Amino acid sequence: MYGLVALGYHITWVTSRTMNFSQGHAVMAGAVVAFACYVGLGWPLWITVLATLVVLAILGVGLERVAVRPFFRAASPAWLLSTIACGIIAENAAMLLFGKDARAFPSALTQKPILVGGAGFYAQELLIPVVGLLLMGGVQFFYHRTAYGKQLKAVAYNPEAAGLMGIHIPRAVMFAYGLSAVLAGIAGILLAPVLNVAATMGTIIGLTALAVAIIGGLTSAPGIVVAGVGYGLVESFVAGYLSTGAREIVGFALVILILVVRPWGLLGARPARRV
Amino acid sequence: MRRALLFLLCVGLLAAFTQPALAQSKDPVKIGLAAAVSGGSAASGEAIKRGLQIAMDEVNAKGGVLGGRKLELVIRDDEGNPAKGVTIARELVEREKTAVVFGGLHTTVALAQVPVWHELKTPYMGAWAAGTEIARNGKSPNFVFRVSANDDYADKFLVQYATEVLKKGKPGLLLENTAWGQSNEVGLNKWLGQKTIKPVGIEKFNWNDPDMSPQLLRLKNAGADHIIMVANAPEGAQVVKSRAKIGWETPMVAHWGISGGRFAELTGDLSHGVTFLQTYSFFGKQNDRGQAVLKALKDKYGVKGPEEVIAPVGTANAYDGMHLVALAIEQAGSAEGTKIREALENLKGEYKGLIKTYKRPFTPEQHDALIDEDYIMVVWKGGKIVPVAMK
Repeated sequence: MYGLVALGYHITWVTSRTMNFSQGHAVMAGAVVAFACYVGLGWPLWITVLATLVVLAILGVGLERVAVRPFFRAASPAWLLSTIACGIIAENAAMLLFGKDARAFPSALTQKPILVGGAGFYAQELLIPVVGLLLMGGVQFFYHRTAYGKQLKAVAYNPEAAGLMGIHIPRAVMFAYGLSAVLAGIAGILLAPVLNVAATMGTIIGLTALAVAIIGGLTSAPGIVVAGVGYGLVESFVAGYLSTGAREIVGFALVILILVVRPWGLLGARPARRV
Repeated sequence: MRRALLFLLCVGLLAAFTQPALAQSKDPVKIGLAAAVSGGSAASGEAIKRGLQIAMDEVNAKGGVLGGRKLELVIRDDEGNPAKGVTIARELVEREKTAVVFGGLHTTVALAQVPVWHELKTPYMGAWAAGTEIARNGKSPNFVFRVSANDDYADKFLVQYATEVLKKGKPGLLLENTAWGQSNEVGLNKWLGQKTIKPVGIEKFNWNDPDMSPQLLRLKNAGADHIIMVANAPEGAQVVKSRAKIGWETPMVAHWGISGGRFAELTGDLSHGVTFLQTYSFFGKQNDRGQAVLKALKDKYGVKGPEEVIAPVGTANAYDGMHLVALAIEQAGSAEGTKIREALENLKGEYKGLIKTYKRPFTPEQHDALIDEDYIMVVWKGGKIVPVAMK
């Protein structure tokens, strides 16, 4: 579940060395838009999914245009603050438009838990890692096997050279942000039935996913997915054997530890050292 | 020219300031509401506002108070933040000149405001926050009154239900990791202790936690035969979902936090059988006041039936609280804080209210108008709240 959100950080990072710090709020936006279409307007599920992803793509592109590009050009890290600001705006806008209560997102897959021995799970919870792996595979394929994906990577390695080779850099970055927001939208739709839909759901998801992205290595999609699964396991292990209060403490302590030992992440590419 | 303008401005300002003093006898009596009207508990603030407004409309329709002065509501948002709560408490009294201020859902905010009411000598009427020490604050004279639950009585009530109605003796406590959870941990341990029962486990969870199965599994493995839960709606819903996930069909007895949001919608069929405490239910047969309030809710706020009443206890508590305050103002013959406070402690006659009939609801020692005998136990049945017998 975290892996899916964390992939969004990865995509914009490899293209532009920037990221949307409010990725969690994009997840929230996905869940809220899906709720509005599916429950509010009563649209069928497939139209809902389509509409949500289109809206999210527009939001992602808009975010890039407004909050990232002006600062990207100036090579200033202000995009960090401006994306957080956009997230806060999104959260408050959602409170105004959507309301402040958590709402249920009905799903056929969360009606009845499947019991296996003493423990059980909802079918929806199984769907999340499956979709996560598929998307990870898709993203990998896109970046390594398709011409446009390779172009995006080239932008990250050397924007000037990529520009000289005829790659339209602003368009590439815009595309990455759109794609990243669409991924967040998918995560939002998948998570909505499990977590319920709330305007405030974004922050903790976004932060945890950022931790996962850093642990896994911002440049490595498989690393992020592995870290996502691993982080989930550590969380439930700590919650099960210690206490829920210790969960965030252990989780984020782990982030610091990994940053010290392997600053490039578990499977991230070790940056070449300039001597 | 400029000097002339300045002079005119001064005259205008002077007129503006002196006018209210002349018209004071017909001025409305302002009643404040300091509650969360934004954020996760916004539904509670809205519910309290509705209860107050409906009661005020009734009083005003009968000619208001103090010989024709209307009641007027002034609302400020505490955002669930104690510091903000103190600021707006001062603003309501010092700038808006409210005679009495009603309070909202958060115990933390209400506790922070207690010294302010005493300093400004303004009565506070609690409509939701149940923290025991809000009303039992050790001040004398005490300016804090409450028509709502009190955690101490609530915990007594929950324990009584679990032991005498369910006849269970191995409670597992599941509490939110906040000051409110803490207040109930103390209360529950106290009342369980009086029955020489020790909880088999005490588990906590944080706000916005998605999965409570680990805590539930620990309680289950410790041998709990029922759960006593202190949670708000979103987390309460996740508890119920997690309970279904681990396939544990144990009885659940809950404090009233789960009624402050959309618990039934969030849990669907899983809410079936969850019992919780309320001060009032708009389901079932209603007394005259109940019918009048439901009608007003429908006319004014488009509430079609009891299932659409948001956070019902907020509306019910605020409604009765407002009527009691109006009676106290009449009896005091003044809108002055100290006099209203004295009148509240010595209310004469009886008020046939929504929740119960109040006969001298407050005394110098007792500032909670509702006690455990006035609470009701209710259960979710197919998305509806049905009262449960206590015997």
